[in-house]
Amino acid sequence: MRGRPIGALNEARIRKKEENVNIVACVKQVPDTEAQIKVKADGSGIEEGGIKWVMNPYDEYGVEEALRLKEKKGGEVTVVSLGPARVIETIRTALAMGADKGIHIQDAAFDNADAYTTALALAAAIKPLNADIIFCGQRAIDGDQGQVGAILADMLDIPHVAVVTKLEYTDGAIKATRPIEGAQILIEAKLPCLITAQKGLNEPRYASLPGIMKAKKKPVDVKNAASLGVTPSVNMKVVKFTPPPARAAGKIIGGDDPALKAKELARLLREEAKVI
Amino acid sequence: MESGKFSVGNEGREVFWNAEHFEALLFVFAGLAVLIFAYGVYRRWRMWKAIGKPEIRWDNAGERIKRLILDGLFQVKTFRERYPGIMHGLIFFGFFILIFGAFFDATEFHIAEPLGIEFLRGNIYLLFSVLMEIFGLFVLLGIIMALWRRYITKPDYLGYKGKSDNIPEDAIVLVLIGLIIITGFILEALRIGVTKPSWEVWSFGGWILAGAFAGVDHEQLKAWHKITWWGHAFLSMGFIAYIPYSRLLHMITTPANQFFSSLKPTGELQPIQDFENAETFGVGKLGDMTWKQIFDVDACTKCGRCQDGCPAYLSGKPLSPKKFIQDIKTYWVQKSSEVVAANKTAAGAGGTAEQKTAEEDKTLPGEVIDLHEIWACTNCMYCMEHCPALIEHVPKIVGMRQYKVLTEADFPPELQLTFRNMENNSNPWGIGSHLRGDWAKELGIKTLAEDPNVEYLYFVGCAGSFDDRGKKVATAFAKILQAAGVSFGILGTEESCCGDSAMRGGNEYLYQTLAQANIETMNGYNVKKIIATCPHGYNILKKEYRSFGGNYEVYHHTEIIADLIAKGKISLKKPVDKLFTYHDSCFLGRYNGIYDQPRNILNAVPGLKLAEMERNREKSFCCGAGGARMWMEEDIGDRINNMRTDQAIATGATGVALACPFCLTMLSDGIKDRKKDEQMEALDVAEIVWEAMGLEEKKAPAAAAEAPAA
Repeated sequence: MRGRPIGALNEARIRKKEENVNIVACVKQVPDTEAQIKVKADGSGIEEGGIKWVMNPYDEYGVEEALRLKEKKGGEVTVVSLGPARVIETIRTALAMGADKGIHIQDAAFDNADAYTTALALAAAIKPLNADIIFCGQRAIDGDQGQVGAILADMLDIPHVAVVTKLEYTDGAIKATRPIEGAQILIEAKLPCLITAQKGLNEPRYASLPGIMKAKKKPVDVKNAASLGVTPSVNMKVVKFTPPPARAAGKIIGGDDPALKAKELARLLREEAKVI
Repeated sequence: MESGKFSVGNEGREVFWNAEHFEALLFVFAGLAVLIFAYGVYRRWRMWKAIGKPEIRWDNAGERIKRLILDGLFQVKTFRERYPGIMHGLIFFGFFILIFGAFFDATEFHIAEPLGIEFLRGNIYLLFSVLMEIFGLFVLLGIIMALWRRYITKPDYLGYKGKSDNIPEDAIVLVLIGLIIITGFILEALRIGVTKPSWEVWSFGGWILAGAFAGVDHEQLKAWHKITWWGHAFLSMGFIAYIPYSRLLHMITTPANQFFSSLKPTGELQPIQDFENAETFGVGKLGDMTWKQIFDVDACTKCGRCQDGCPAYLSGKPLSPKKFIQDIKTYWVQKSSEVVAANKTAAGAGGTAEQKTAEEDKTLPGEVIDLHEIWACTNCMYCMEHCPALIEHVPKIVGMRQYKVLTEADFPPELQLTFRNMENNSNPWGIGSHLRGDWAKELGIKTLAEDPNVEYLYFVGCAGSFDDRGKKVATAFAKILQAAGVSFGILGTEESCCGDSAMRGGNEYLYQTLAQANIETMNGYNVKKIIATCPHGYNILKKEYRSFGGNYEVYHHTEIIADLIAKGKISLKKPVDKLFTYHDSCFLGRYNGIYDQPRNILNAVPGLKLAEMERNREKSFCCGAGGARMWMEEDIGDRINNMRTDQAIATGATGVALACPFCLTMLSDGIKDRKKDEQMEALDVAEIVWEAMGLEEKKAPAAAAEAPAA
């Protein structure tokens, strides 16, 4: 755990608010898991037409945990997302679940942003909020990199606990459970800190209809690179997307003698499939 | 002793015989009884008016009066169950005739006679006498049957899970009516015993009973007569006064409820109109219901017919439609009385009382009705189909689900997954929406985008598009249409989920989103006629889409196939030598009255024999999948699909014919669960027909003729 001296001002702020937690939840919009993914002819990306966009499921656990914390202790949840215009739908989904306000970082300069640049933009948007706790998903189901949370925590110079399945909040600190192979570890951290959420942390709620309607009127602040004072720097670039090879047809081994058939199967598994 | 007024040839009786001075007193008592009755009705009237949103239920009075005559006057629904029907019929028609007779008698005596017209004489009097005897005995017989049923045989439907519903009032009412009849006969016997006119043999009951008093001193008989006279008068007047304070109130509320019953097609629900500004949706508090939805509960007589066929109740779930209505009633009686009292004080002093009661309002789903009850309902419509009072249970349950889903977002987690699947992929399974049209690709079926100039749109539905079993049914049906040369197309990926499970699961918002998407697409292609293979889609497209501008002629595939067979467009020549039983889908049968077409089709299949299950047609037993139950866990009691499978097995059939993809899933699972999958199979009617057409080997010539798509 990375420590950081908590300034007197910061401590005073926490004490003053006591049971009023300032919470941020970062969300990413991703294609639905069932969506048909077609790679663009030039391999530069995926065809976006006809795709149903949803909130990254791991981010949803983060939003839910943020809302539960707010409901227990009081405070405010700000949801932050980076992406094109369509991302507003995902922000509204989080607002419908119960988040209070949103920040939408929208700038063509961030198209194809890598994890570092994304974290840079998020950090710039989140820093002025003086968050006590920040939730991210442990990774996004599209790029599968799992880096943004960690980089963001580093940029904000706060501790972070990754892949959390259980979270307890006590005054000014958290206890987070993180599964490791065959066991789990319990980590304590002082606030402010960043948590990346894993499946099992909670069951995200379904937005109520009054929630959906109210979400339409909740404030969403739109920011761009200039207003955040960020210069996008692309350090990492996806060179090419390649779809997985089409599944080959199955093979049926003919013949009447089971012993011969077994022999042939063993040969194919060894020589063709190369699995034994 | 009989005055010379009456004789053979001029038969009759002296009306206030041996009670000459009681007439005035009787009028006083009668007046008092009517006053008590009127006050009781007034008190109830205030309660009916106390809570509930407005709703117009008096339009189309002609149709309403027709219902009142059929189900009120002629007791059509009441007679559907033999024993209770006859029992109630004896009491109802008996009492009806007796009261009519008393009225006839009183009119003759008090109005006609003083004017010099005496029409209750001679043969008319004799006919009158014998009729009154017969109907008096009918009532008595009905009362004995009722006592026998309620206190000796004690059927389960007069209780809840083995616990009797009986309250003292039930006995009081039966004994009261019985005593009125018995004292009437005794009274007659005592009069005949003294006066002995020969023609009173026509009053056979009293005449026979008079034999018991033979040899008793006449003065003694007259004294007894006076006492019995008053007893009979008090009981009769007491009966009138007791009506609004007891279950006898159903003499008013039940016919009134029949008059106010919904004239909409079965199962049609009122869509929620305003999502933007409302704070709460569906039925949370009592006041969220309309006055009629509340009035329903006062028309319930606890007869238990709803419960007797309720799949949730019979499979051991906590829901009983009767208990559901009675629990709301108990709360309504308490709450409306409070509101009436509060209104009274508020009228005096400034209006704070009303606020106070509003704060104490209980939430119906959760605090008055157990949540397991509202989620156990399969929307099968058995309760509403068989309720003699025409109570509307299902809309109340859906209303409460709407409250839980839309307002509170608190509902079974399995449904949350279903709703999300419908939101993201427009089908409850959550399979990628881009795969919706894939089943049809090899069949050469065109989408409306490819060719909009077709007669029918085949609305395939989610099961036909995504479910492996459902796809086979869709394929069989499409091949039948192709073989018959019917012009049709599908929407392919442009089709959305019909929204039935969302609507019946309480997610009206999601349902309307899906419905509007479909309507927009279909209206865009100027669709006029639709065929659906799923009764849920069929029902919702036919009845509910109208509210959003979707007006179509909608057919179920069994209607189309039956028609193709009748017109000779397809011929069934390959014998299917098998005993089938047909399971009525609720949304096809009770919701839409389609009972005959599937049976006609099956009877047209050569070699096929059809056996009926004990619960069939209007009384069919749900498979357990309606009302979004398809997507929920069933963790209380027995599995409904297994119970229905057992009923099918009991017929000895080796095939279950179905016409609904949900039923197909449920019964197929049931057959597997009962380890009968080697001997028994569940098939859609379309699959049986395609098999019987015997075209499969030839590889569907019509399909081959058309150019395969994509």
